[in-house]
Amino acid sequence: MKATKINEKISLSSLLTGTVIAIVLTVLVFVLLFFIKLYEDSMELNSITSSEQAVVQVMNTLENYTNDMAEIMKMISDNIGQERDGRDNFFRNFMNIRSDVVSLTVYNNDGQLLNCWSDGLELKEEPRQNLSYSEIKNDKELNISKPHVESLFTESYPWVVTISQRMKDSGGENIQVFMDIRFSNIANYVDDVGIGQHGYCFILDTDGNIIYHPQQQLIYSRLKEEKTEELKALEDGAYIRSNVIYTIYTLENCDWRVVGVSYVDEMITDKVKNMIRVCAILLFLVLITALSTGLLFSRFFSTPANRLAKAMGDFEKEAENFRFAQVKGTSEIISLSKSFGHMVLRIQRLMEKVREEEISLRKTELKALQAQINPHFLYNTLDSITWMCEEERTEEAIEMVNALARLFRISISKGNELIPLEKELQHAQSYLKIQNFRYKNQFIYSFDVDEACLNYLCNKITLQPIIENAIYHGLNGMVDTGKIDISIHQADEDIFLTVKDNGVGMTAEQCIEILHKESGDRTGIGIKNVNDRIKIYFGAKYGLSITSELDVGTCVEIRIPKIREDDNEIK
Amino acid sequence: MKLNKKPYLKVLCGILILAACYMIGFYYIAKYLGPKEVESGEGTKHYVAIITKSTTSDFWKTVFAGANAASTEYNLTVTFDGPDNEEDYETQNRMIKEAVANGAEVIIFSAVDYNANADAINQAAKRGVKIVIIDSAVNSDQISSSISTDNYEAGKMAGDAVIACEDEVLNVGIVNFDKNSANGQQREEGFIERVSTDSRINIVETINVISTIEDSMEGTKELLRNHPEINVIATFNEWTSLGVGYAIEELGLAERTTVVAFDSNVVSVGMLETGEVDALIVQNPYAMGYLGVEAAYNLIFNLAINETEVDTSTTLVTRENMFDDECQKVLFPFN
Repeated sequence: MKATKINEKISLSSLLTGTVIAIVLTVLVFVLLFFIKLYEDSMELNSITSSEQAVVQVMNTLENYTNDMAEIMKMISDNIGQERDGRDNFFRNFMNIRSDVVSLTVYNNDGQLLNCWSDGLELKEEPRQNLSYSEIKNDKELNISKPHVESLFTESYPWVVTISQRMKDSGGENIQVFMDIRFSNIANYVDDVGIGQHGYCFILDTDGNIIYHPQQQLIYSRLKEEKTEELKALEDGAYIRSNVIYTIYTLENCDWRVVGVSYVDEMITDKVKNMIRVCAILLFLVLITALSTGLLFSRFFSTPANRLAKAMGDFEKEAENFRFAQVKGTSEIISLSKSFGHMVLRIQRLMEKVREEEISLRKTELKALQAQINPHFLYNTLDSITWMCEEERTEEAIEMVNALARLFRISISKGNELIPLEKELQHAQSYLKIQNFRYKNQFIYSFDVDEACLNYLCNKITLQPIIENAIYHGLNGMVDTGKIDISIHQADEDIFLTVKDNGVGMTAEQCIEILHKESGDRTGIGIKNVNDRIKIYFGAKYGLSITSELDVGTCVEIRIPKIREDDNEIK
Repeated sequence: MKLNKKPYLKVLCGILILAACYMIGFYYIAKYLGPKEVESGEGTKHYVAIITKSTTSDFWKTVFAGANAASTEYNLTVTFDGPDNEEDYETQNRMIKEAVANGAEVIIFSAVDYNANADAINQAAKRGVKIVIIDSAVNSDQISSSISTDNYEAGKMAGDAVIACEDEVLNVGIVNFDKNSANGQQREEGFIERVSTDSRINIVETINVISTIEDSMEGTKELLRNHPEINVIATFNEWTSLGVGYAIEELGLAERTTVVAFDSNVVSVGMLETGEVDALIVQNPYAMGYLGVEAAYNLIFNLAINETEVDTSTTLVTRENMFDDECQKVLFPFN
């Protein structure tokens, strides 16, 4: 109930604004979500691609580096078979040139140290532990250890990895060669590799030991951790683990793996924020556009429409004095307004007409009534009655008084204008009876009535003025006996009342005149009065028609519709 | 109809306002969608001053390495300063003033003297400079964050190393540095508390030396001359550790004497290997430097600091475990 009430009060412009905003908001949100998803996907793809590129580059560099190491080992293998002096010379020079090589140690099959070259470092007399040596179990070209501290020299503990290989010496004995290298070269390279803003690369071996990390010391100080256990298990490829992209590739010629680490959200979050900002601005723009459109709409449509509606309401309340001013607005409003204006005029004209008819009806009815109380007629009749009483014609006198009484009763008829034909007929009979007495049977009259018509209604005092007219103007002063024939019959939907006399008759001009002129004769109400009342009540096609011929007589025909008591209301 | 006499003027105004809104809107859209302007440069960097007890020892060099790593990561300008000797609190106070004058937003500080440095620190804090303490505390309530070894626990750890000796009688000599330095005193307290639980142990004498190799070496030699029964020496920082080590080496007492020392450098590690020193309590100076600068960054940008007191780890390294994987990482700095 309440909801519908509220709905009714929502104006068109706010509905429009609301709808536009809702639609735009929905579309914008969907577009935003869609684009964010799209963007994230493409950014992820981009990040993965750039991460892969970086990792592949590092991998290539590392492969070059390890190939280089393999070359060096091959060179060592070529030279280790030389005789002692040449060999020492070669390796001393080699250690000078290669600053990243910390030491080169040779062991026999039992792990006994045979030779050691280094770049000016002092070998400990009895090393507590030799971290560089571990027995070589296979014949691979290149064995690379995990990082450890060089523990063979006094006051020098650099971090190194050890590359080892089995070889044969000059005597053909099996020996094991270990080269400890600092990887400052690759370290510098790996340090400089960046993926995105904060991404980086590090090197892992297949056992999950970190070979080199740009933040190795942070890891050693336990300030940073890499998920080496998890990464160890992964195949080569790119993986996304909660905002971090790991790209892993394994080198072909050794068991090192390059891991690229980059962050998804740092690349995406900013952009998404911007997108949201842009959408907010768009939404704001749409909002003000919709609001101003709504304003415009209300100015040119809603407000005029409301004015029109108010005008209609006003018109409904007081139609007569309403003055309509045209409403301006869109063409629809203007045409509505014009039509309404026309309608107002039309209705007002009709109302005027109805009112005029009402007034004239009242007047004619009043006249008809006045005519009945015509004093001449009354005292002439009373005179006749007095005279009858004097002559002791009691029977006749009674009849006269009865007729007079009936005449007035029917004339008044409780103020109804329409009465049954039967009553009207009695009225006419009473009147004729009285006149016949007064005119001492100078005329005769007859009725021819279709009984079926008697229940239909007709205007009261319809026949009497016509009869009166026939007596006073048609039969008066005639030598022969006058004759009045009254007939009532029906035809289709109508009833015809006919009053026919054999009096002096009239000319055609007189016939027309009598229907349109107020009667100058004060004794009766005019034929016109009867005609007018019938036309007002039943319409233009009903009423009187007069045919007359001089010295032959006049025939007045009254046409009325068939109306019963119960459908009286309709008219 | 009450339509305005100049309806078009109103509509025009509306359209103009609308157009203005659209232009502003599109300007911002273009700005947000356009290429990002990157702001950088020295001028915008925040300045953090690190003032320490000394700048020459390996311990402090590692602190600086950690601080450098963090300053690169957080894009801060960091300076390192410290007096030439570890008793010179006056020079430290002067450095604090200079740092404030130079516009340092945070001072990362390691106090030479628990009380004598307090005033300068309070003054700096009054000027709106945030104070982060590393390694050694100062008597001030203006400290925003403190990152150091739990010195008391480290002292206890040294005690544990002594208790681990199998000798029947343990006569302990303590060679500590400046009495006014908070961390040295805390370590000593922790050490004494722990060793006093063992009935074999008898603390013979505590000496306080100047924190240099020479002075502690001389002090140790004198101590050993005065008390030849001493067979355990405990000492609590890098320089005194070296002094004690050299004294033992010179006197040839490596076999007979158990030395529990602090911090690591190539020399003391060599001594650990060769027997002059028997156990090292190794702190995590790199973490101190790194976390100190990280705390400074959080203070500058008003980010939440998880803990106002952070304990960095300490590790007991003995001859037996010194080349274990974990101990290698603790003992030997990577670069």
